[in-house]
Amino acid sequence: MKKLTKALAVFSMVGGALFGTQALAEPFKIGICYDLSKAYTFATPQVSQAAMDLAKLINMKGGIGGEPVEVIVRDHGNEPQRGIECYSKLSREGVFVFDTLSTPVSLAILPRAMEDGRILMQSLVGRGDAVDGTVFDWVYPIGPTYWGQAANDVAYIKQLHDGDLSDVKVGFVYFDYPFGQEPIEILETLSEKEGFELELYPVPLPGSDQAGVWSKVRRDNPDHVIVWMLGGAHVVASKEMQRNRIPMDKYISVNWLNEVDIANIGKEAAKGIKRGTNVVGGQDIALYQEIMAELYDKGEGSGPIENTQDVFYNTGLAMYSIMFEAARKAAEAEGLPITPTSYKAGLESLEGFDANGLMAPITVTAEDHGGGGKTRIEMWDGETWVPQTDWISEYTDVVWDVVKESSSQYEQ
Amino acid sequence: MFYRLSGVHHANYVSDSRIFKVPADRNLTAFIFLIGLAAPFIIPSLYLNSYMLPWLIWTAAALGLNLVTGWAGQLHLGYAAVMAVGAYSSIHAARFGVPWEFALIIGGLTSSVIGSLFAFAALRVKGLYLALTTLAMQFVMDWVLTHSPAISGGSHASLQSPTLALLGQEITTDTGFYYVAFGWCVLVTIFMLNLKRTGLGRALVAVREKDFAAAILGVNSFYYKILAFATSSFIAGVSGALLVATFFFLAAPEQFSVAVSIQVLAMVIVGGLGSIIGSYFGVALILLVPGIVNGLVVTLSDGLGMQIDVETLAHIPNAVYGALIVIILLIEPLGLGKLYGNIRDYLMVWPFDQFKK
Repeated sequence: MKKLTKALAVFSMVGGALFGTQALAEPFKIGICYDLSKAYTFATPQVSQAAMDLAKLINMKGGIGGEPVEVIVRDHGNEPQRGIECYSKLSREGVFVFDTLSTPVSLAILPRAMEDGRILMQSLVGRGDAVDGTVFDWVYPIGPTYWGQAANDVAYIKQLHDGDLSDVKVGFVYFDYPFGQEPIEILETLSEKEGFELELYPVPLPGSDQAGVWSKVRRDNPDHVIVWMLGGAHVVASKEMQRNRIPMDKYISVNWLNEVDIANIGKEAAKGIKRGTNVVGGQDIALYQEIMAELYDKGEGSGPIENTQDVFYNTGLAMYSIMFEAARKAAEAEGLPITPTSYKAGLESLEGFDANGLMAPITVTAEDHGGGGKTRIEMWDGETWVPQTDWISEYTDVVWDVVKESSSQYEQ
Repeated sequence: MFYRLSGVHHANYVSDSRIFKVPADRNLTAFIFLIGLAAPFIIPSLYLNSYMLPWLIWTAAALGLNLVTGWAGQLHLGYAAVMAVGAYSSIHAARFGVPWEFALIIGGLTSSVIGSLFAFAALRVKGLYLALTTLAMQFVMDWVLTHSPAISGGSHASLQSPTLALLGQEITTDTGFYYVAFGWCVLVTIFMLNLKRTGLGRALVAVREKDFAAAILGVNSFYYKILAFATSSFIAGVSGALLVATFFFLAAPEQFSVAVSIQVLAMVIVGGLGSIIGSYFGVALILLVPGIVNGLVVTLSDGLGMQIDVETLAHIPNAVYGALIVIILLIEPLGLGKLYGNIRDYLMVWPFDQFKK
């Protein structure tokens, strides 16, 4: 027994030395647990680079409330288990704002964040019903949900047809798993409401074979095709569309369509392609210019400059502008150090914030954690993205019905 | 010297079929068991909760796969699907109001039934063909999960697990979750240790080595194969349910995807087919090493003040981890369990073995 207690003592000493916990009172930190090596690498490098650049810029200007800010980037390889590990580790280092940019990991962290009272940002990923702030106190999917985005796409189509959708046919081409299936419900509701005909075209993962889908689209000949796919699947789709002589301007993509995809389709061939987005594309943005002047021109950027010429970099800037703005508000209102509660209040005091023309203005409230879910449709004209609409957020009642129905299931 | 053999005689069958034939093995196991019991008091909660707990549950799961692949010799590429069946049916049962004790058993039994149903179809074929049929099972299950909101929990395909309660006690603390996982892992380990020395285990090994030779000896190979599938599926089902109840707190299809099936198989192969301690090592390597190496690489690059961009930083651990698997399998193709076995064999006769060289 004596031996055992001795062994235990040694063990605990070694443990303590190895894994010693740290005290609090540190700069404001954001934990970026991203998938930098597996499925989400089409966007994570650009987004995390934007986060790091923005943090550098803020620190050059004196930080928030006089204190520097810090972003901690870690890889979780899109594995829920490693995401939880990242979350647990960083939250013990005093981080209370997290972003995962991965649906499986966001889902895995959500129950813990809710339990521990830490802020889980999940723009564009995770469960969409988390915009319901009355149920999901600590989760902020700021930006459009896929439901809201799909509804806005329909609103745009309605504009094109002068407000009458009764003899319009809309196709929906989607990845046949939860990401792509999510908007179906809302589209079906809207099709009943507005009287347009809806055709569903599931695409099996990973989307490299779409020959059957697009020949079916050709036969059905819908007026517009809303597309819920990612990365290389857009390129495959555009090839099949050309083969089937379907004009490119029928294509309305989810926000996951970037400059890399355009380059792969071919700048000319992609002419007319549309996408829904909540950020301004291109480089003609005040914040972007500032980052170029202050960081990249002096060789202090956080990564290759090519990464910045991508809409997902702008998406990242938008996401992290919101997070830092909320921190600033929190510091203004309740001083330093920023706590989870004051940060939450900071987020919920954001009103019409658009990061100086970078994105759709967002207004976060205690009920609406999505910030309003505004998007707009942009069209590729061969050189640049041309906005087709204002920032819109339509059919909000229909969207919120779906949100409430889904979020009420969480409480059970 | 370390594994003292003097005075150890097996004069009858009962003594010869003991679990631990050498006292040192028994003592070592008891010591590790005690450390396991004391873990919540000596290991910081971060490591308890994000390393130890998943490690134990996955080990229980891997032991189940080891039963069918390592003992009965049937390659199984749809193991995560079987875990999913157990997880989803237990959670649905628990949400319906069934006490967790029964919900877990329901999960295990449903897995068992579905797992052996597939086995019926699958066992008409052998080897690689069997591997492909079980892989098909995985895809069928993935499809069912992503296409039936009633099972997967709405349009986000995430199903919230009710609070785990066992024996009338709600379990909400890290320590509580840990002990549940620990208890289940110990239970499965004891079962597997006993399997080795019973007729069932020997029959499974006979089937593995040559099924028709086993048939000639009077072992009904089809029956034993089904039995192996059913038992391992039961273990998979309960492990899957516990994984969700104590670790993820909600079930999502990605937690049981084909990649996970391959990971579990890798755990078993790297650990060593048919080795119990190997399963422990294998799970540690496949499940925990990526995270640990990642942490080490980050600390190292921070410590040295190197400016490595985040993407490279994320890929270095993957390379290290891949290299580690290759090196281990090159050194000992029979896996980590055999590596441990070699050390044990060496120490068993130490220092006298030295004269040979």
